Amino acid sequence: MDFSEQGETEIPQVIDMTTSEKVVELLNQAALTSTDEKLIMLKQVQELIINKDPSLLDNFLDEMIAFQADKSVEVRKFVIGFIEEACKSDNELLLRLVANLNMLLKDESVNVVKKAILTFTQLYKATLQWLVRSKAVSDMQDACWELVTQMKRDVLALLDSENDGVRTHAIKFTESLIITLSPRTSDSDVPKRQEGDISLDKVPRDHCYIRYDVLCEEGKTALEKLLKFMVHPAISSINLTTALGSLATIARQRPMFMSEVVQAYETLHANLPPTLAKSQVSSVRKNLKLHLVAVLKHPCSLEFQGQISTLLLDLGMPQSEITRSTPAPREQRKRPRHDQYAEGKKVKMEPALIEDDEDKEEPAPLSVPKPAAVPVVQSAIDLTAEFLRPLLTSENVANLVLISMVYLPDIMPASFQATYTPVESAGTDAQIKHLARLMATQMTSAGIGPGLEQCKAREDDAGKEEGNEDDSGAKDLLIKRKVPAVMVGQAISVVGGYSDKAPITEAEGRATVKRLPEPILPTAQAKMAGASGRKKVFRLADVVQPLSDSQMEKLTSRAVRRILHSEKAIAQSGMSHVRVKLLSRLVTQFEGMMKEDVLDFILEDIRTRSDLAFSLLFQEYNTYLSQLPAGLLDSYDHCLYTLLSGLQEKPEQRDGLFTKLVLEAPIITESALEVIRRYCEDESRVYLGMTTLKELIVKRPSRQFQYLHVLLDLSSHEKEKVRTTALAFLKRMYEKDQLRDYIEKFALNYMQLLVHPNPPSLLFGADKDTEVAAPWTEETVRQCLFLYLSLLPLNHRLVHELASVYTEAIADIKRSVLRAIEQPIRGMGMNSPELLLLVENCPKGAETLVTRCLHILTDKVPPSPELVERVRDLYHKRVPDVRFLIPVINGLEKNEVILALPKLIKLNPIVVKEVFNRLLGTQHSEGSSSVSPLTPGDLLIALHNIDSTKCDMKSIIKATNLCFGEKNVYTSEVLAVVMQQLMEQSPLPMLLMRTVIQSLTMYPRLGGFVMNILSRLITKQVWKYPKVWEGFVKCCQRTKPQSYSVLLQLPPAQLASVFDRCPEMREPLLLHVHSFTPHQQAHIPASIMAVLETNNKTEPKPVQPIVEREIEPVVAPAASVPKETPTVAVKEPVQQEPTATQDEEPMEQEESNPVIQEESLSSVSQVELAGISETPSSQPEPAEEPMETSQLEPSDIQEPEPSDIQEPEPSDIQEPEPSDLQEPEPSDLQEPEPSDLQEPEPSDLQEPEKDVDAEVAGPEAGSGSEDIE
Amino acid sequence: MPSHPLRVAVVCSSNQNRSMEAHNILSKRGFDVRSFGTGSHVKLPGPAPDKPNVYDFKTTYEQMYNDLVRKDKELYTQNGILHMLDRNKRIKSKPERFQSCKEKFDLVITYLNSREQETLQPVHVINVDIQDNHEEATLGAFLICELCQCIQHTDDMENEIDELLQEFEDKSNRPFLHTVCFY
Repeated sequence: MDFSEQGETEIPQVIDMTTSEKVVELLNQAALTSTDEKLIMLKQVQELIINKDPSLLDNFLDEMIAFQADKSVEVRKFVIGFIEEACKSDNELLLRLVANLNMLLKDESVNVVKKAILTFTQLYKATLQWLVRSKAVSDMQDACWELVTQMKRDVLALLDSENDGVRTHAIKFTESLIITLSPRTSDSDVPKRQEGDISLDKVPRDHCYIRYDVLCEEGKTALEKLLKFMVHPAISSINLTTALGSLATIARQRPMFMSEVVQAYETLHANLPPTLAKSQVSSVRKNLKLHLVAVLKHPCSLEFQGQISTLLLDLGMPQSEITRSTPAPREQRKRPRHDQYAEGKKVKMEPALIEDDEDKEEPAPLSVPKPAAVPVVQSAIDLTAEFLRPLLTSENVANLVLISMVYLPDIMPASFQATYTPVESAGTDAQIKHLARLMATQMTSAGIGPGLEQCKAREDDAGKEEGNEDDSGAKDLLIKRKVPAVMVGQAISVVGGYSDKAPITEAEGRATVKRLPEPILPTAQAKMAGASGRKKVFRLADVVQPLSDSQMEKLTSRAVRRILHSEKAIAQSGMSHVRVKLLSRLVTQFEGMMKEDVLDFILEDIRTRSDLAFSLLFQEYNTYLSQLPAGLLDSYDHCLYTLLSGLQEKPEQRDGLFTKLVLEAPIITESALEVIRRYCEDESRVYLGMTTLKELIVKRPSRQFQYLHVLLDLSSHEKEKVRTTALAFLKRMYEKDQLRDYIEKFALNYMQLLVHPNPPSLLFGADKDTEVAAPWTEETVRQCLFLYLSLLPLNHRLVHELASVYTEAIADIKRSVLRAIEQPIRGMGMNSPELLLLVENCPKGAETLVTRCLHILTDKVPPSPELVERVRDLYHKRVPDVRFLIPVINGLEKNEVILALPKLIKLNPIVVKEVFNRLLGTQHSEGSSSVSPLTPGDLLIALHNIDSTKCDMKSIIKATNLCFGEKNVYTSEVLAVVMQQLMEQSPLPMLLMRTVIQSLTMYPRLGGFVMNILSRLITKQVWKYPKVWEGFVKCCQRTKPQSYSVLLQLPPAQLASVFDRCPEMREPLLLHVHSFTPHQQAHIPASIMAVLETNNKTEPKPVQPIVEREIEPVVAPAASVPKETPTVAVKEPVQQEPTATQDEEPMEQEESNPVIQEESLSSVSQVELAGISETPSSQPEPAEEPMETSQLEPSDIQEPEPSDIQEPEPSDIQEPEPSDLQEPEPSDLQEPEPSDLQEPEPSDLQEPEKDVDAEVAGPEAGSGSEDIE
Repeated sequence: MPSHPLRVAVVCSSNQNRSMEAHNILSKRGFDVRSFGTGSHVKLPGPAPDKPNVYDFKTTYEQMYNDLVRKDKELYTQNGILHMLDRNKRIKSKPERFQSCKEKFDLVITYLNSREQETLQPVHVINVDIQDNHEEATLGAFLICELCQCIQHTDDMENEIDELLQEFEDKSNRPFLHTVCFY
């Protein structure tokens, strides 16, 4: 839309905008992406702002440079490259960027530093060039140059860097520097690419801050440095290779230095560093050869051809090749102003023929020293060589060889091996000359010899001639000569041992010859050379002052704190492990606050700082170990304790660090164990805690009992979760043999506490001493038993220990014990041999315990024969307490049960009830499995047959009542069978009629059957058994009018007796007879009729009305009678006031009644019975009767509702019925404790409770009371 | 470890056997590798020691292969030359001369003529003594590969290469000539 308005100017603007925008976008993206993408983007930006649109460079410079702080090495390196490009593109930028480059020169990454050196190499030249050209003077430029100069010094200093690669780069920088800071001459061999480079000759001498002479001097210093560097005895092969190459380059580009270079090569060749390996030696030699050839090819090498070709020959190059590489000698050497550089080397013009190695000094023939062509200036080596030559007589040389022989090393050095070639031209003049020169090289390097001296003197002269137009040349010379002097020590290792005597050289100048045959110490070369080497000896004491104690403390703790808090920075650099190590070492070495600081620091975030925690802990332990005999664990303990407590107190802790710390700690101290204990007591961590503890126990056997004890202690802990967990762990550990005894002992000891009258303070923990006198409680008793009881199922033998403790314990404890043992005993099972043994032995005093065990065992399952056998034995042979039998009663023989019955039914009603439940199978849910030895009928019969001398009637009656209470068991059929059997017995059981009446009450439809019984009783002359007879009458009374026919069967005397007892019976019976047909009446004997009509004389009339009266009601209630009768009877018992005593009196009276007329009675009765049985319900008469009679009924009537009575309501039990007066007494004796009633479990109530109290007296007391009765 | 993969050049005389074997293995192991020859011509064994097959560096491996098949298929199958050429042509189309390569490397394995230096960036040159036959070439290739892997894993290659080479020398019982050149 802007097209029309913007016109021609639009296009460039658009480009600007887009480029700029693009750059912005790229920069923004680059800030956020990964390194690789970042580099790509930054490269694009560089391309855009440097090459495409340099006007943008300034705008985005800062943004680009900002990346120099990037984390990535590659990005920082890129920034360096960018700086180089930017500065080359716009020199003005140097002012701003040099400082950045300076920063990067000090980068922590060597790769960045190396790149920075490379760039600085370029920029140094660029800066110089730019500054030289710009005429305008500015402070900024000045400052910039100053900085560049400083950086130059820094890089030169990097020649001493520890990094091989950095040194390599520094060497290359030095090379470039030397070339830059020296003038290019016509014979300089300048590579094409570097033709435009700055060099000293382009620097004006009148520049205001760049001073020609200073630069010149710097260049020479740099060369010195390089040469010095090269002769370091421990130089690496790569550095050496690099330096060799650099020298070659220097020699070719600046022939003025060729002399130094060749000399350095010579020196090196004679003194290869001893540290080089064989292959490195060959590498170096290969390089040396290469570079020598390169130098040789240079036209200016002419003067040095002799030396070079000698070296090349030594290096194994064929003469033909050397010749090929040698440039044709020029007729006229150009001699510009720098000619002096080369003049000194004229001495060696002739090609050397010698292939000797200086170490192999051959006896040389005496030869006349050939005066060298007089040079303008001779080097020190030349001078010394000339001096030596005449001295190398055969004799002298032989002596030298002999003397030096002693000092030869045992093993041939790699360098020697590599360089050795047999001397071919020994003794020739040329060879002697070569030898002399070699020696001179060594001596000059060592700073001795006449040559050196002369040079010095000449230097002094030169100094005075300063101001000469060729002063730079003179200076060069001066430098050149200085070099060997400076190299003293390491350069010539052969005489290294003497290097420190260099200063004396002047005085000894003339005596040099005598010094020559000094020992060669190749093995010591490196060390000695190094020691006296170029570095000034640094002594710390000279430069430091002692700090005050507080200062030191402050500084140390600050230092530690800094390390402590530089966590992230260090982590990023990947050096965390060093930091951790450093911290732990520092902290353990120094006392004081820093230890706390570090621990606090760890606990702040222990999860991520766990490595520090472990390191610290181990370090502490290490310190302890190192001081062992006297060492204290305090410090370690404190460290471990603090860490563990810190972890323990931390709320959220799921990663098991606590466990790890505990398990990895070299020693668990007391206090640490205490923390572990606390950890275990924490309900939320109890499992982890105890797992840890378990691991400790298992994995640290030397102290396992100490740890085990903690766990054992916890097994009676008040918190249930802690306790149960501890018990679970202990149970598992109990299976380990080595721990078993200890655990067992502990459990038994703990249980043993129960014999004390009061709970020991131990149970309350140390801090509750005040309660020592407290009585035993359920709690405390259980506390003593937890462990024991959980072990019991694992080791049944322990049960005997319980028995022995039990016998000694007080009643309260016994009760608690009995309550506590249920689970474990059940767990053991009745087949446990140990348990059977306990039953068998039944220690005195432990009867209740045994009984309780029996009950527990048989509670749900029927007793095993073994168990029954033991109990039977116990009962018969040792403790005749019938209560033992109860649990196993179903396992006994029938007759045994019957024998025991009298005793059993005299026990507490509740117990009796339980016995019956067992016998009747009404107790167990799975009752079918237990087969009672007695059928219900048998039981009832057995009860009837109990000898009344052995048991009071009341108990028997109660027992039978219990039977009738079980309506499900005692069905009408069962009762009928019982009655039938009882009736057939002779004599008749006393309670027979009672049972009959009760059965009838329960099951009215048994009426017919009962009539039959009654008739048959008559045949058995029932009147002879007073009690039974009484019951008989009562029964007849109840069963009117059905019983009429039975009554009519009685002999007259007995009938009269009936009427005596129940006069009201007579009239209805008479009426009944009158209702007979005449024929029927005829069958009634007169005697009977007489009895019937005895009282009739007085009332003859009312017969009729009576009949009428009788008939009427018969019709009306007839239908309802059969139903109502029983129900009424059932409701009656509430009114049962009359006692048994009332009944007995009349019964006794009846006994005297004679019995007659059996025959007639029987015949009648048969007829009657038939009739009755046909129409039992049609009999109207008895309708009203039961109601009346029932009021007179004795206690019997209570039976129909046995359930009410037998309910274990306290009131029933505690308030004995008046009729039961005799009964409660024995039972009261046995249970005087009201507390029994409060017991929660009914099953517990029955037996043990009561017995516990009676314990002292034992069951004997019970049986005793029984006997009394 | 250097952040970029090591740039490696493997060089032998004809860029056929030794350098190609190493090239094959190194490239399979993920190195940035190029191979070169340094001779003036590519020479392959001929029917007799004094009658080699000579090609110039412009000839592709394919062409050499076809040429040799035409000349004596059986002979060149038997001495493995055809097999070698077949492998080579799957790596690259034709031999290259090191002298004409302008690229920069971190590591050059073999002998090298120095180029005119400019940036002064160093390049380490390692010469491994390997005879020019198939077995040696294979062994050598593995050795070189292992060496490169070790170098790749150094933290500071320049600082550690010296020791590393010494170790390798002891281990392989071959001399390694090591030097440094500058671009």
